[in-house]
Amino acid sequence: MMPLLPALNPGLLMVVMGLIAVVLPWQRLRQFLLVLTPVFCSVLLLGAERGVDLATIQTLGLNLVLFKVDSLSFIFALAFLIASFLNAIYAMHTDDRLQDGMAMAYAGAAIAATLAGDLMTLFIFWEITAVSSVFLILRAGTKAAYQAAMRYLVIQVFSGVLLLNGLAYVHGDGGDLSLTAFTSFAEPGSVLIFLAFAIKAAFPFLHNWLQDAYPKATVVGAVVLSAFTTKLAIYAFARMFPGFEILIWIGAVMTVFPVFFAVIENDLRKVLSYSLNNQLGFMICAIGIGTPLAINGAAGHAFAHIIYKGLLFMSMGAVLYRVGTVKATELGGLYKSMPWTTIFCIIGAMSISAFPLFSGFVAKSMTMSAVGSGGYTLVWLMLLFASAGVLEHSGIKIPYFTFFGHDAGHRVKEAPFNMLLAMGLAAFICIAIGLPMIGGLGYGWLYGLLPCTAAAVADVCLSSGEAIKTYQPYTLDHVITQMQLLVLAILAFMLLKRAGLYPPERPGTILDTDWFYRKPGYGLAKWSGDVWLKLGPAMTRISAALFHRTFDRLEAAFSPRGALAREGLATTMSVWAAALLGFVMLVVLFAG
Amino acid sequence: MSTAPERDENGRFVKADRKAGSPVTPGGEHPLSKVLFGWVENKRTPNLLLLAVSVLSVFLILLDFVLHRHDYISFAETGGFYAFWGFGAFALAVLAGWPLGHLLRRGEDYYGEADTRPFDTEAEE
Repeated sequence: MMPLLPALNPGLLMVVMGLIAVVLPWQRLRQFLLVLTPVFCSVLLLGAERGVDLATIQTLGLNLVLFKVDSLSFIFALAFLIASFLNAIYAMHTDDRLQDGMAMAYAGAAIAATLAGDLMTLFIFWEITAVSSVFLILRAGTKAAYQAAMRYLVIQVFSGVLLLNGLAYVHGDGGDLSLTAFTSFAEPGSVLIFLAFAIKAAFPFLHNWLQDAYPKATVVGAVVLSAFTTKLAIYAFARMFPGFEILIWIGAVMTVFPVFFAVIENDLRKVLSYSLNNQLGFMICAIGIGTPLAINGAAGHAFAHIIYKGLLFMSMGAVLYRVGTVKATELGGLYKSMPWTTIFCIIGAMSISAFPLFSGFVAKSMTMSAVGSGGYTLVWLMLLFASAGVLEHSGIKIPYFTFFGHDAGHRVKEAPFNMLLAMGLAAFICIAIGLPMIGGLGYGWLYGLLPCTAAAVADVCLSSGEAIKTYQPYTLDHVITQMQLLVLAILAFMLLKRAGLYPPERPGTILDTDWFYRKPGYGLAKWSGDVWLKLGPAMTRISAALFHRTFDRLEAAFSPRGALAREGLATTMSVWAAALLGFVMLVVLFAG
Repeated sequence: MSTAPERDENGRFVKADRKAGSPVTPGGEHPLSKVLFGWVENKRTPNLLLLAVSVLSVFLILLDFVLHRHDYISFAETGGFYAFWGFGAFALAVLAGWPLGHLLRRGEDYYGEADTRPFDTEAEE
C-alpha cells in the first residue's frame, strides 16, 4: 500500500472522501474526516517529487498523467488545500451530508485538475468541479437558487465542452496533450481552450454566472465556491497562455468594470462576487505580461486572494446565518453583537484593499510593478483606478454598511465558534504572509512558494525570456505610494459621505449582461417553444394530408385497378413510353 | 438540521412568513463590543476621524516633496500623483453610482427572485 501513496493525486483522494462523506450519517465523524483530509493531502503534496509524472495510465490510446507537481501547480494546490481545510471548519455547525461531501469533492476536483499533467485529465476534473459545485447552490433550497444553479451548470458544462473540443484539435495536430503553453492563437485548438478557460475565469461578458450563482448559494456554499472554480481557471491560463498580450487588456477591463456595479449593488454577497471579478482581472493582466515577476504576481495574488476572499465571504456568511439577510439596506450596527466577526471582516477588507502589512499588498505590488516596468501606462492607470475601487466596495462598503453605519437594530448572537475559528485562522494567514520579514516570519513565506524563484522554476517562467530577479515589496516608495492612494481614497469617502454625495443603498436588482439571456434570450426561447408547440401539430397535419393525397394519386394511376392498368398497353402506356424516350434523348442531347 | 417542509391540507408547501431581516436569535450586545468599538459611538469620533485622515493625507502628500520617489512610469513621480489618483478614482466610482443606479436598478423581484435566503440560516427557525 505504501508505495502507492506518493503516486496518489491528493485531489483524487479528496474527491473520494467527499463521495464517502455524502453517505456518512454521523455528523462528528464526517466532519472530523473532512477536516483531517486536507491536512493529510497537504502532507502528500509537500512530499511529492517535482517535475516528474508521478502517476500515469494508458487508456483510449491516450497517455494520461494523473499527478504531476511543479512550482506553479504547487502554490495553487496548496492554497486550495488550505481553503478546503478552513471551509471544513467553517461548515461544522451544520449537519448536511450532501453539502459537506460535495464541498470536499469540489475542492478535490479543483486540486486534482491543478495537479493534472495533461489536458484530458484536466478536462475530466474540470467537469467534476462543475457537477459537484452545483449542489452548493442547489442546497440553498430557494426557487431563485434552483434556477441560478441550472444556468450555472449549463455554462460550466459548456466550458468543459469547449475544452474537450479544443483538446481534440490539439490531439489531432500532434497527439501531444501535455500542458505545454501555447505560443499563438494560430495553433489548433488554442482558441477553443482559451474560451473554455475564459468562461471559468469570468471574463467580461462571460462573467455573469458568477454574480448570478454565488450570492444565491448556501451560507457555506458561497464560501466554498469563492475559492476554487475561478482560481483553477487562473492557474490554467498561467499554464497555457502566459504572455498573451490580449490578456493584459482583458484583465485591465476586468478590474475596472465590476467597480461600478459593486458600488450600486445592495446584496453584499453579490458585491463580493463583483469584487472577485475585479481581483481576477489583476491576475489575468499579470499572466498577459508573462514575465517571471508577473507570473509570481498572479500566483501570489491568487494565493492571498483565496484566503482573504474566503474570509470576507465567511464574515458575510456569518451575518447571513445570524441575521437572515446580507442586504446593505437592512444591515448596520452589527459590531454591537458580532464584534469578533467585525474584526475578522476588517482584516479581510484591509487585505483585499492591499494595505501595507496585509497579504494583498505584498501580492498586488508584484503585478503593479510588472505592469509598470512593462511600459503599459494606460493599463497601469486602470489597475490603479481599480485598486481604489476595491477599497470602495470591499474595503469600506462591506464592513461599513454591515457592522457600522446606520444601526438597523439587529441584536443577534455572535457567529458560532467554528465560524469564528475559521475566520480567525484565515485572518491570521492574511497578516502572517503580509508582514515585513521579522525573525523568519512575514511575506517571505508566501514568496518562498512562488512559481518563479531561484530555487524553483516552472516552465512558464521561461516563456518570456526574462531573468528571474528577487522582488522587495517593502520599499519606502511602495509603502508611501500605496498609502497615498488608500488614505486619500478614504478621505474622498468621508467627504462625499458628509456632503451627501455618496449614493444611498437602495434595494433592487441591478441589471448586468445576464439580462440579455435572462430576459430577451429566455423570451425568445419561450416564444420559439410556444410557436413550435402550435406549429408542430400543424406541420404534422399538413404533411399527413400531402402524403395521403400523393398516395391516392399514385394509386389511382399505377395500382392494378388504376388508370394505366385499365387502358391497356396500346394507348396510355405507349404514350408514356414515348414521352420517357423523348425526355432521355433531350437529356443526352444537352448533356452531350 | 432541515426538517420536512410543512404542507397544508391540499399538499401544497406552506410558505413561511419571511420578514426580511428580523433577528431570530436574540443576542443583545456582545460584552466585547464596548471594549473594542465603544469609541465608535462617541459623538466626536466622526470629526476626529476626519481630522486624523486629513492630517495623514497632507503628511503623505508632503512626503512626496521631501523624498524623491522613483517610479516605472515617469509622470507618477510627480508629487502627490498617487494621492490625486486615489481621491479622483474613488470619487468617480462613487459618483458614477448615481446615474448608473437610475439606469440599471430595477425592482427586487425583477427576475422573480426576491427571496434568496438560503435554507442554512438560523433566521427561519
